[in-house]
Amino acid sequence: MNCKVLLIGLALVYSCEPFVNEFHDKISVAKLYEATAKTPAATTAAPRVITWNIRFGAARFPFYGDSCGDKVIAKKNDIKDNLDNIVAEINSLNPDIILLQEVDMFSKRSGYINQIQYLLDNTAMNYGCYASIWQVDFVPNYGLGRVDLGNAILSKYELTDAERIQLRLRTDQSGLVQYFYLRRNILKVKIPDLNLYAVNIHATAFATDDTKQEHVDKFIQVLADIDLTGDQFIAGGDLNSLPPGAPVIDFCEHDMCNDENFHMEGIEPFHKEGSYFDNFDGEPNILQPLYGAYAPAINSQVMNNPEHLTHAPSTSNERWDIKYDRKLDYLFTNVAGGWVHGSAATHQNLWLLSDHMPVSAVLNLSGD
Amino acid sequence: MKKIIYIIILIGLLSGAQNWAPHSAHPLPEKRWEMGFFQPLRYGYTETLEVSLHPLLFFVMPNLSVKIPHKNMGNWSTASRHSLLYPTPLLNMLSKGTKIGNNIASLISPNFLIPPMVGISNDWLMSRSLAFADITLHGGIDLGIVFGDLDEQSSIDLPLVYHRLGVYYNTWGLDLGIDIFRQLTKRLGIHTDFDLRLLPGLSGSYDVEHKLLLVWTKSEGFQVCTGYKFVYGQFPYGDEARFLPYVPMAETWIPMVELQVAGNRKKP
Repeated sequence: MNCKVLLIGLALVYSCEPFVNEFHDKISVAKLYEATAKTPAATTAAPRVITWNIRFGAARFPFYGDSCGDKVIAKKNDIKDNLDNIVAEINSLNPDIILLQEVDMFSKRSGYINQIQYLLDNTAMNYGCYASIWQVDFVPNYGLGRVDLGNAILSKYELTDAERIQLRLRTDQSGLVQYFYLRRNILKVKIPDLNLYAVNIHATAFATDDTKQEHVDKFIQVLADIDLTGDQFIAGGDLNSLPPGAPVIDFCEHDMCNDENFHMEGIEPFHKEGSYFDNFDGEPNILQPLYGAYAPAINSQVMNNPEHLTHAPSTSNERWDIKYDRKLDYLFTNVAGGWVHGSAATHQNLWLLSDHMPVSAVLNLSGD
Repeated sequence: MKKIIYIIILIGLLSGAQNWAPHSAHPLPEKRWEMGFFQPLRYGYTETLEVSLHPLLFFVMPNLSVKIPHKNMGNWSTASRHSLLYPTPLLNMLSKGTKIGNNIASLISPNFLIPPMVGISNDWLMSRSLAFADITLHGGIDLGIVFGDLDEQSSIDLPLVYHRLGVYYNTWGLDLGIDIFRQLTKRLGIHTDFDLRLLPGLSGSYDVEHKLLLVWTKSEGFQVCTGYKFVYGQFPYGDEARFLPYVPMAETWIPMVELQVAGNRKKP
């Protein structure tokens, strides 16, 4: 009888789930995935690491939410074709660990594909974990419908202790918009075979308040906590921040859509959200503490070179013939040997597969 | 604002309360009419023909339904119900959406144009009174005829809505159900139902719906219903169960209340 009551109670609780997952816990368990058929992987002292914002597998689809596009729902076959292109590049680069941002899970706009499982089942990666940043049963904005978007870490080696660490919400939005909006996070997981933590972040892009500072500070704190216990990490992601000393910090003119005007007195907002990198004191140098404390894959001598730019809005090429004009994606480590000299690369040739280009490097775990 | 009202009525129409046993095999008596805010206007045209349509939605979603009684089968009263629906104008209106600030609130992406579509439903109804309650069994086939290209990703993937519009994406579907009504006191009754909707071959191929309503009949001309609706169904992204209506923002229940009125037209 008690069991029946419990089952009925559980059914009621499940049924009463709100349409938006608000992720009330500051730290929660991230979901783990495994490839349907695993590829044997020997441990290595030189694992290759990639960070890649794959833009929900939509390539340069002119999505209304992050460019000057006007499209909402991508064709399922187009998404599959693009995921196959991403799969081919992953197989070609043969990484051991991948930090992914903007992975869609069963989202309407990307054909309801479980993108983590798709990548695991079509590459040599065996294990994955996922932390959603946007999980809404129905977004009534431009008919977007169901969305589940998030960060993922894929690995050839088993993952344990996967944590979703909640980041502060934006404070420059109305309550209603905030309710349906992103809940960004840091995804942290242990890779026992490599005696290593992997930490992945997708920091705020469009906040005009100090949310980005909060996100980067939290990222630094998570890494410092690992470092203080004597553990090793590789960390990175889409920090939505420029390298210290970046020559351009205002991209409003480049990112401006046809019906927009910026930098004009009396017109609000003065800057385009997500295109201006000096919203608060210190924003242009927000990543300096990371560069100061840890080893970057793309070191500070070359980080502002054109060959290491990783992003331009998805419609920039057709509008301005620009494939990439800023660096937003990073890899860091506290491993004593750092990165294998000369192994780091920004794969700008893959600019058609996403609005972000992957950054890769080989970790030097042996310390030689 | 008008679009929001239509959306509310559409959702209400799909989830709303029942009135004086519209699902039974018994047609309304001649010249009697009944309607509720979320329910269609039903009219007993003759003793052997009941006509119903939703007047508020008619101009954006032309609809018409007729119920025809047939010979009794043993103790069972029988009837057939035949419905026509043209949802295209309403769906295109929902696709255009309503501008709120810099955003467009819409249930369907503005990128989609819904082609002309006609829905045809044919149901068989059987009703009888038992010692404990009045029951009605129903089953039927639904057809969705589409004149043009209907993009499968234009679906509205919400409970109740997805499976009712699913027939246009699947071209056909089946529905089965049972309605039970028990009079508790002179004025108070309880109405429950269970419905199964099948769309074989569609990625969201079924849903099960259950409703429980308390019905208070003040007079022959005024009735109030309140209760809940439970939906469990398969969707393109997986299975989902929900109680409706439910307001997630407030994380609270809004009871489903339906006011219904009825009357008799004078016979000439």
